[in-house]
Amino acid sequence: MPDSHPWKGRNVTGSPAVSPTAQQPLDLVPDALLAGRAADGDTAAFEALARRHGPLMRATARRLTGTLADADDVVQESLMQAWKQLDQLRDPAAVKSWLLRIVGTRSIDHLRKRRNHLALDDLENHVDAPSGQRTPDPESTAVNASRVDALKSALTLLPEEQRRCWVLKEFNDLSYEEIALTLNISPASVRGRLARARIALARTMEEWR
Amino acid sequence: MTEHVEAKSATLADELLGVVQAVEGVSAVYPAQPLWQSVAGAAVAAVTGEQLPLINLTEQDGTLAIKARIGVGSPLPAPKVAREAAAAIRRHLGNVPAVVEVLVAKIEA
Amino acid sequence: MKTPGDALECGHSFAELSAYLDTGEIADPAHLDSCPECQAGLASLRRLSELGNELLTADVAEAGSGGDDWMQTILDNLRLELRPGRSIPLRAEDPQDTLWETEGSVSALIRSVADSFPGTAAGKCRLLGDITEPGAGITVDVEIAVVYGHAMEERAAALRNELAKMLQVQTELDIQAINITVTDVLELPAPAMTPNTEDQP
Repeated sequence: MPDSHPWKGRNVTGSPAVSPTAQQPLDLVPDALLAGRAADGDTAAFEALARRHGPLMRATARRLTGTLADADDVVQESLMQAWKQLDQLRDPAAVKSWLLRIVGTRSIDHLRKRRNHLALDDLENHVDAPSGQRTPDPESTAVNASRVDALKSALTLLPEEQRRCWVLKEFNDLSYEEIALTLNISPASVRGRLARARIALARTMEEWR
Repeated sequence: MTEHVEAKSATLADELLGVVQAVEGVSAVYPAQPLWQSVAGAAVAAVTGEQLPLINLTEQDGTLAIKARIGVGSPLPAPKVAREAAAAIRRHLGNVPAVVEVLVAKIEA
Repeated sequence: MKTPGDALECGHSFAELSAYLDTGEIADPAHLDSCPECQAGLASLRRLSELGNELLTADVAEAGSGGDDWMQTILDNLRLELRPGRSIPLRAEDPQDTLWETEGSVSALIRSVADSFPGTAAGKCRLLGDITEPGAGITVDVEIAVVYGHAMEERAAALRNELAKMLQVQTELDIQAINITVTDVLELPAPAMTPNTEDQP
């Protein structure tokens, strides 16, 4: 039996099937190193990056596209694009925000493609709104709805351009310049839309209180 | 010289997509021309927001060339499903001279 | 562009406060320090930001872990797409047709058969020989990790059997040998034990 082994004694459950993804040695390696190896063609390193940043990518895509199903499609497309464009990444340490910018662009593309097949109204109704209502009134949603749920509702009411800026800022902490590049607008427009989004959200949340 | 057969082929591609999807054992139809292998295609799609066609249709010297990339689901054997997909495409085309290529990219146990 | 509700009574705007929140820069910092309206507006924006953070945390938690099935499916699909490998020809009925399956699709299938055995996980998987040539003799090499305690010889034989059957059905390759190599033996952590005081004298 080998003396030291990455999987031995690690987080392997008692269930009969052993998942090779239970714990991987690369999970501890920092982003910059993984990105460097991945750019060289190391798919194991790329997968480690995918697993590490996947949940945030999925959460972001979900808020940008409206559904989890779309979110997973977007994450897959984003990772595919990332793999192809890794050699264009100038700062390996910034791979996380780079991945999130790709998620931003891919989310918008995804919505645009879907829109070609759906009327705009139908699209809005596909969004995972917590109460399922088209225009949820924060007061009429369930009495014990948490403030977070109220925020989710308020978000779905925002004009799409404002919602995108808000999600990319609050979820991904992208700079105005990065958001501008992702959305193909000017940093000044980002600044304006972000402000309007926050005004609308803050007002809705204050009323809810 | 290879030409893209335009508007007519858009409907034919859709029809063939339906035909292939209806074949027993076909679990998915993937873009025949993966995005990055078709730079021009990718550029057009980005501008128009169109979905890239799944079934690839080209015409060469009067012969239609059809390419399909599929996923196969159990329990039918992949070789059999691939043959059936090709046969279904030919049946749909009738007497039109054609060359058919089917690639199985995924097999589910 | 002014938005209704953007203007504060003091003449400054929410937009300025919003930008200040993000960049730390504002045209008139002295005013900000002394103006109750601006301070109230900023506080409101900060509360919203905190709430946004709560939402983010909740959403990320809901998104699960990178080790979950949804990510594994994405990675599997990525592999099939990005690493299809060589094309394995299949017999066509019409001589004008070309039918293939990707090496990647067959490797993925081999891995999933190995993974489906209890206490077994596939590692590297290779098809040796010219799989693009119909009728060429092919050898399959599979590396597996096995949980300690399972009879390994028996496990390897059973797996070899299953793989042979599967390859016979899903490919038209002439499989001459299937080599299974156990590269890792995994130890399950001992079950959590409560201190056994009863046995002590």
